[in-house]
Amino acid sequence: MKHKPNHDISKEHAAYLKSIRKREVFISAMRYLILLALIGLWEVFAATGILDPFIFSSPSRIVSTLVRLYSNGELFGHIGITLFETVVGFLLGTTLGTLVAIILWWSKTLCRIFDPYLVVLNALPKIALGPILIVWFGAGVESIIVMALLISLVVTVMSVLAGFQEITGEKQLLMRTLGASKLQIFSMVVFPASLPTIMSALKISVGMSWVGVIVGEYLVSEAGLGYLIVYGGQVFKLDLVMTSIVVLCVLAALMYYAVAFLEKKLTLRRSHA
Amino acid sequence: MEKIPLVTVEGVCLTYHEPTAETKAIDHLSFHIGRGEFVSIVGPSGCGKTSILSMLAGLMAPSEGSIRIRSTKRPGYMLQHDHLLDWRTIEGNIMLALEVKHIATEENCAYALRLLDTYGLSEFRYHYPRQLSGGMRQKVALIRTLAASPELLLLDEPFSALDYQTRLRIADEIHTILRAEGKTAVLVTHDIAEAISMSDRVLVFSNRPATLKTEHRILLSCNDATPLERRNSPEFKDYFDMIWKELDSYET
Repeated sequence: MKHKPNHDISKEHAAYLKSIRKREVFISAMRYLILLALIGLWEVFAATGILDPFIFSSPSRIVSTLVRLYSNGELFGHIGITLFETVVGFLLGTTLGTLVAIILWWSKTLCRIFDPYLVVLNALPKIALGPILIVWFGAGVESIIVMALLISLVVTVMSVLAGFQEITGEKQLLMRTLGASKLQIFSMVVFPASLPTIMSALKISVGMSWVGVIVGEYLVSEAGLGYLIVYGGQVFKLDLVMTSIVVLCVLAALMYYAVAFLEKKLTLRRSHA
Repeated sequence: MEKIPLVTVEGVCLTYHEPTAETKAIDHLSFHIGRGEFVSIVGPSGCGKTSILSMLAGLMAPSEGSIRIRSTKRPGYMLQHDHLLDWRTIEGNIMLALEVKHIATEENCAYALRLLDTYGLSEFRYHYPRQLSGGMRQKVALIRTLAASPELLLLDEPFSALDYQTRLRIADEIHTILRAEGKTAVLVTHDIAEAISMSDRVLVFSNRPATLKTEHRILLSCNDATPLERRNSPEFKDYFDMIWKELDSYET
């Protein structure tokens, strides 16, 4: 509920509002402070030799590595490949996952038949399938995308299906009394009602796609951020490893916020009050 | 009321099958409901009152016997909770039945909006359900049901989720609306006073398996008054005591 600004608020209320604002300012200030302190301490420790920059790298070395990667044109190439694999894996995983969830919601019998398969697939560390994927799809982008897809797929199926099943029987009963077909019940009630659940499933599956892509790149790639990390580790260039991780952090956060933004847009109407 | 009844229920039996048991819920139940009548069904809890509504709504078929509704329109059904869809505006909600049946013609939509206007909710047309109080939401649910112009309305304890005061007020309003629109209604409730105050007739069901135990034609000195006023008529208490005793004899 949004209240209209009230101009004659009481003193207590003004104090209360002020205390809320103060807390908000404090929280964001602390967030930045911690980040700055970590970077600062890291830099100082590395410069004074408390941390060996060869093993621990340092913020300034990360920045110079970043500049070097940018100026020789490699940076966006690697980012592009990793981002492409993640986005494709994520979109395929969530689309297929939602479709499978719809089919399993539709038929209770199918749902029961496939339940143990889902449980086992969910419990299985998908990374174990890596070698098989390489043999089947080749040592390239395809294998990486399939890995990302697999990791996000099962999670999506399970959480979206749980979302569909949460929608009460009474809402469906109401639709049946209106003479609705199963398709109408799904498209007019079950799907829109579980949209919030689907959106939070997407947020989980974004993270899962990143895991899939990086693991995939560890196994097979010649390019991408995962490749840079593995390569950097093998040739003992910790600057490269740290730089790639920092870039990865930024990208993963951006993609998460993009999905969160989408969620807000889509669910805005129902919280509009 | 000696014309052809709108609803005829004849020798209806219903048996539920579960893996561990077979339950006879309804046993040779017969009654009829005339056009424009308001009939309440009361009975001990779990006696199959809701099952009979589900069968009247066509959601379930009786195991034996027949149910005949002489109307081309599907009966309207109101549940305990309004189940308004929170992502649709009030307007979107009342159009739901029309959309489901693909009959959202200009004329039908205008009728739904007119109902909204007549019953004092037009200012909430573009609001969302969460902005409305429980009583108003239940009124919207009624308008959603009426939008498809059913002749028969099935009310499954539609007031029991409301607080007492709202409940009395909404019962009054809904009763008035149903009368004004000339609808036939079957109300299932466990509230004896509510049943007497709203109905022309009260059917008392027995314990499971449900049969029709007794039937009371409610004749009060102020028969045309609203349910709230009817509660004050001198005969009200007699009906109440009579039905109370009948139901009480089932509680062990």
